Amino acid sequence: MAEVQQDNGGGKGKNHQKKMTIRVDFTPMVDMNMLLITFFMLCTTMIKSQTLNIALPSNEKVDNVENMSQASADDAVTIILDAKRKVGSMAVDTVNGKVVNEVYYFFGKPLDGENPSDPATLQQHNNLQKSEFLADEVNSAGVPSARGIRKIIQERNKDVLKKIEELKKQFREGKIDQAKYDELAKQVRKDENLKKPVVIIKSTPEASYGALVEVLDEMQINSISKYQIDNMEKVDSLMLIDYQNKHRGK
Amino acid sequence: MTAMSDVTVLLLTFFMLTSTFLAKEPATVVTPPSVSEEKVQETNYVQVLVSPQGQVWLTMNNDTSANWSNEKMRMALLDKVSEIYNESHKNKVSFTPQQKLTFSKMGSFGVPLAQMGKFLDLAGNNLTSTQADKWLQGQGEPGQITGIPIDDNKDESRPNEFQMWMKALRQTDNENLANAIKDGTGVAIKADINTNYGTMHRVMDNLQTIHMNKFTLLTALKSGE
Repeated sequence: MAEVQQDNGGGKGKNHQKKMTIRVDFTPMVDMNMLLITFFMLCTTMIKSQTLNIALPSNEKVDNVENMSQASADDAVTIILDAKRKVGSMAVDTVNGKVVNEVYYFFGKPLDGENPSDPATLQQHNNLQKSEFLADEVNSAGVPSARGIRKIIQERNKDVLKKIEELKKQFREGKIDQAKYDELAKQVRKDENLKKPVVIIKSTPEASYGALVEVLDEMQINSISKYQIDNMEKVDSLMLIDYQNKHRGK
Repeated sequence: MTAMSDVTVLLLTFFMLTSTFLAKEPATVVTPPSVSEEKVQETNYVQVLVSPQGQVWLTMNNDTSANWSNEKMRMALLDKVSEIYNESHKNKVSFTPQQKLTFSKMGSFGVPLAQMGKFLDLAGNNLTSTQADKWLQGQGEPGQITGIPIDDNKDESRPNEFQMWMKALRQTDNENLANAIKDGTGVAIKADINTNYGTMHRVMDNLQTIHMNKFTLLTALKSGE
């Protein structure tokens, strides 16, 4: 392709013309193409963003509280996000200019329903506990096991997860297809007969947005159907400060 | 060499045809990773870009095949938002056709409405459009504020400018977008992973105040899980 052959037809004529081969040099063109490809590769976005759907509770005042679906204290799990503080102060401790997120949780009512205004009660009944965001640990047999906050949520939602696991097995064995699986999984997640937690997510202003997305991820991973983002209340802050005071320097 | 040039030309064609260029945004943000597999919707949504400092800009993504192109939508939006703004402010804003035309071509936008006229004058002129870009990126002259003014406001009857913009979005005649906002796919928040929650909370609270309780968060694909 890159050469043009000139043939004088037979070559038996009088004037013997030399056979000429003209070669066209393609190197500059390939160079230029490579440059253009590099340009386009760097300028394009191949990966599209993912989205997380959020539905905040309406902030309208509800007149009849009885009609509200209230979470029973047994099912409630409150997760509180906070940034790591410097020892002995409320200032945020940063590593490489980034905040380090911490995750706390408690079950049921704060302080087990005790009055938060009394400091002694606060210290005694503080049911706040600390956890961590940890990826699954894979043991030597290759079976992953959850750790940190994921394990805690999983433990609370084990009824649902067990059923989901069964569905997954059926799906893997080819007994049901993707659409059927999605439908059934949705039913299981919403099944009123199963005991499942209601997760309330709160965060201090200092924690980072990344931590919030991480918690929302945990909700998806653990098939939690009922969760909501809520504002910090005074008792939450008090418990958090109390916890941090107790565990200072550890 | 021939084969190689063939390949490069093919690759080039492929990239040229598939590419969508990265839109220029006033602030560079790294979205947090998530396991969510839902892709971002193609059209009919408004992207709310939140910088780590808490500034807010909007970007329209309309269905260009429908009656509402991005240009037309922005034009209608500007009319609507100045209408809402003038209801509650003594210093009325109004825009010339030329300014409206400039606004209809903006990618991301977000300056206080009181300064919008000046900003559009700069952006509309080829000689000064780089100044407008700098303004939007927060590198403008002193007094040139970038980002839509947003504060903690829970009073629906007295919206701040961010809430005015969001309200205006719902009130234009573009039904596709209004429905998308109702369904929760119409508003997508894009924020940096290291933005503090206080800043994010303010944005979400603002939306909640004007009854936009459903929206989406833009995230990146998480690898390894």
